[in-house]
Amino acid sequence: MIKSGIFRRILNTSVFRLSLLNAVLFSLIAAVALISVYKVAETKINQQVDTRLQLQTNLLLRTYNSYAVEGLLELLDIYTQKDDPPFFFYLLINRSDLDLTKIVKPDKVIRNNNQWFATRPLGGMAKYINGHKPEDEARVLLTILPGGYQLLVGTELKETRELLNQLFKAILVAIPIIFAVSISIGFLMARNMVNRINTVTDTAKNIIEGDLSQRIPLVEDRNNEFDRLSLSLNRMLGRNEELMQSMQQVTNNLAHDLRNPLNRIRNRLESAQIRKMNKDEYSDVVEHTIEDIDGVISTFNALLSIAQIESGLPRKNWQTFSVNELLNDLSDMYEAVAQEQGKRWLCKAEENLQLYGNKQLIAQLLTNLLDNAFKYTPDNGEIKLTARRDNNNNIQISIADNGSGIPKEEHDKVFKRFHRLDSARSTEGNGLGLSLVKAVADLHNAKITFDDNHPGLLVTVNFKENNDKNM
Amino acid sequence: MQILIIEDDTQTARFIQKGLQESGYVVDHEADGQSGLERAMANQYDALIIDRMLPGLDGLKIIERLRGQGFNVPILVLSALGDVDQRVEGLKAGGDDYLVKPYAFSELLARLQSIIRRHQPQQELNFLQVGDLKIDLLKRKVTRNDKRIALQPKEYILLECLMRNAGQVVTRTMLLDKVWDYNFDPQTNVVDVHISRLRSKIDRDYDVKLLKTVRGSGYILSAPDTDD
Repeated sequence: MIKSGIFRRILNTSVFRLSLLNAVLFSLIAAVALISVYKVAETKINQQVDTRLQLQTNLLLRTYNSYAVEGLLELLDIYTQKDDPPFFFYLLINRSDLDLTKIVKPDKVIRNNNQWFATRPLGGMAKYINGHKPEDEARVLLTILPGGYQLLVGTELKETRELLNQLFKAILVAIPIIFAVSISIGFLMARNMVNRINTVTDTAKNIIEGDLSQRIPLVEDRNNEFDRLSLSLNRMLGRNEELMQSMQQVTNNLAHDLRNPLNRIRNRLESAQIRKMNKDEYSDVVEHTIEDIDGVISTFNALLSIAQIESGLPRKNWQTFSVNELLNDLSDMYEAVAQEQGKRWLCKAEENLQLYGNKQLIAQLLTNLLDNAFKYTPDNGEIKLTARRDNNNNIQISIADNGSGIPKEEHDKVFKRFHRLDSARSTEGNGLGLSLVKAVADLHNAKITFDDNHPGLLVTVNFKENNDKNM
Repeated sequence: MQILIIEDDTQTARFIQKGLQESGYVVDHEADGQSGLERAMANQYDALIIDRMLPGLDGLKIIERLRGQGFNVPILVLSALGDVDQRVEGLKAGGDDYLVKPYAFSELLARLQSIIRRHQPQQELNFLQVGDLKIDLLKRKVTRNDKRIALQPKEYILLECLMRNAGQVVTRTMLLDKVWDYNFDPQTNVVDVHISRLRSKIDRDYDVKLLKTVRGSGYILSAPDTDD
C-alpha cells in the first residue's frame, strides 16, 4: 500500500511529468533520425547496385563493339562459369526470340531510350538464367544493341534486401529501448526528488504538530541545492524557535512583572474598601496606587518602544547630527547629577563626529546606559562618557563606570527583556533598559561590547563608518 | 475660557470635562469627528482637545481642515499611538502639543494651559518678571531684587520656560521636551537635579521662595501674591 502510494506520488510529480514528456519527445526525435539513416542507407545501396550494373554493362559493351555478338557470347560463357554463385547474371537474346522491352518495364531510363534500369522478379526471364528462383527480386539493366540483340545484366536483390531489413528491425527495437531508458531515468530522478521533498514535508508536519526542535536531515558529504535549501530552512527554523522561546520568556516575565504591582494595587484598594480610614490614609492609598499604575504604564511603554524599534521603524526622522552636540547636552544634563550624587563626571569627544540616525533614539540609548552607570557607581566613583573615531573610521561612544560590572557569562543575557542581574534585583528598574539599548543599536547597525573597567563596566557602542546617508 | 473636547471615549471625555470645569473652564464635548469639526468651526473656542482616532473623521484630518481654513486655535492632540513618528505626524498636521495615553490629568492641564498661553496675543516682551525675579530677554540677564544671577545656558532656558508659564504647573516631561528636546523620561532624576540647582541660585538666599514643587506632577514658578 505504501509502495503504491509512493508510486502514485512519483507519477504525480512535475519532475516525472516533465521526464515523461522528455522521453516521448526524445524517442520521436530518435525515431525520425533512425528512419532517415535507414532511408539514406537504402538509397546508397541501391545507387551502388546500379553503378555496379552499369560498370559491368560498359565492360560487356566494349567487348561487343570489338568482337560483335560472338565475342560477347564467349565472354559471357567465361563469366557464368567462373562465378559461383554468380554475382551477376546475364541474358543476351535476339528480339525475335524474346522481346525483353515488353517484359522489363523501365524505372530509370538512360542513354536515349536504349538502356534502362528496372526492378522486378526474375519470373519470365528465369528459364534463361541458371541457379536463380523465378520469384526472387532482381535489379536489371537492359541495353538494346543495334541489330536486334538485347543485353540484360542483372543482380539479385536478396542480400541487400536482407541487410536493409535487419537495419529496419534494429531501429524498431532501438526506439522502445530509448523510450524505456529515458523514462526510467526520469522515474529514478523523480523518486530521488520526491524522497528528499518528503523528508522536508515530514519535518514540517512534525513542526506543525508542535515539535519545534525538528530539523531537516541532511545527506552527508554533499552540497547540492537540496542540502543548501535544507540548511537555509533549518537556519530559519532555528531562528523561529529562538524567537518563540524569547516570546515565551517575555510573556512569562511580563506576567510576573505586572502581577506584582497589580496585586499590590488590588490589596491596597481592598483594604481601603474594608477598613475605615481617615483622609490621610485614603490619600496615601491613592498615591501609592497611582505610583504602581505609573510603573505598569512605563513597563508597557518600554515594551512597546522596544517592539516598535525592533520591527524596524521607518527612517522618516533620520538625520545627520553632531555627536559632539549630543554629548555636550548629555554632559550638561548628567554633570549636575554627578555633582549632586558626589560622583566624578568626565566627558570627552573628538572633534567633528557626525552620525546619521534617529537622534532621539540614540540619545535614549545613551541615557539608558548613563542611568545604569549612575545607578551602580558608588559615591566618589567616576563616570566617563567618551566619543572617538577608531582606525576604521567607526564612531565609538563609550561609557565607563566604577560599578559592579557585568560578569562575562552574563554579557549576552543582559539584553534579554526583563533580565536582571542577581545583584540588581533589589534596585529599581524594569529590566528593559538594555533591551532598548540593543534594539536601538541594531536599528543603527551598531555593535555593543562590554569590557572590564577595573573596577566597573566599560560599554562601547560602535557605529559603523557606513552608517551615513548612503545606508 | 471655552474648550471643546473631541473624543469618542465618553468616560475619558467626562473625566477631562470634569477636571477642566473644576479648573474654571467651560467645556463642550463631541464624540464624532465630523460633528466635532463643525462645532469647532461654528464657535470661538480658546482651545481644542482632539483624540487622534475618531469615528466619522480622523483627528489629524480635523486639524488639517481647521488649519486649512485659517483657524489658528490652539490644539492639544491625544493619542493611544505613542511612538516618535506618530508624535511628529501629529505636530506636523498642525497640533500644538501631543499627549500619549495614558497620561496624568495634571500633565494634560499643564500642557493645555501652556498652549493657550502661547497663543494669546502678546506684545513682543523684552522682560519677564515674577515677583522680584526678572529676566532681560534681550541681554539674557537674570536678576533678583536687582542682584545679578549667573546661570548656565540650560539653566537659563529652564528658567525662561518656567517664567513664561508663571503661575502654572510645568511638568517634568514638558521640561524635558522644551529644555532638552527629549521626548522620553530618563530613569535618573535629571530634571529634579537641575531644578534644585536652579533653585539654589534663585531662591536659596531669599526668604520668599518662588520655585515650588507640585508633588506628583511638576513645578510652578509664582510670586506669593499670585499664588493660590
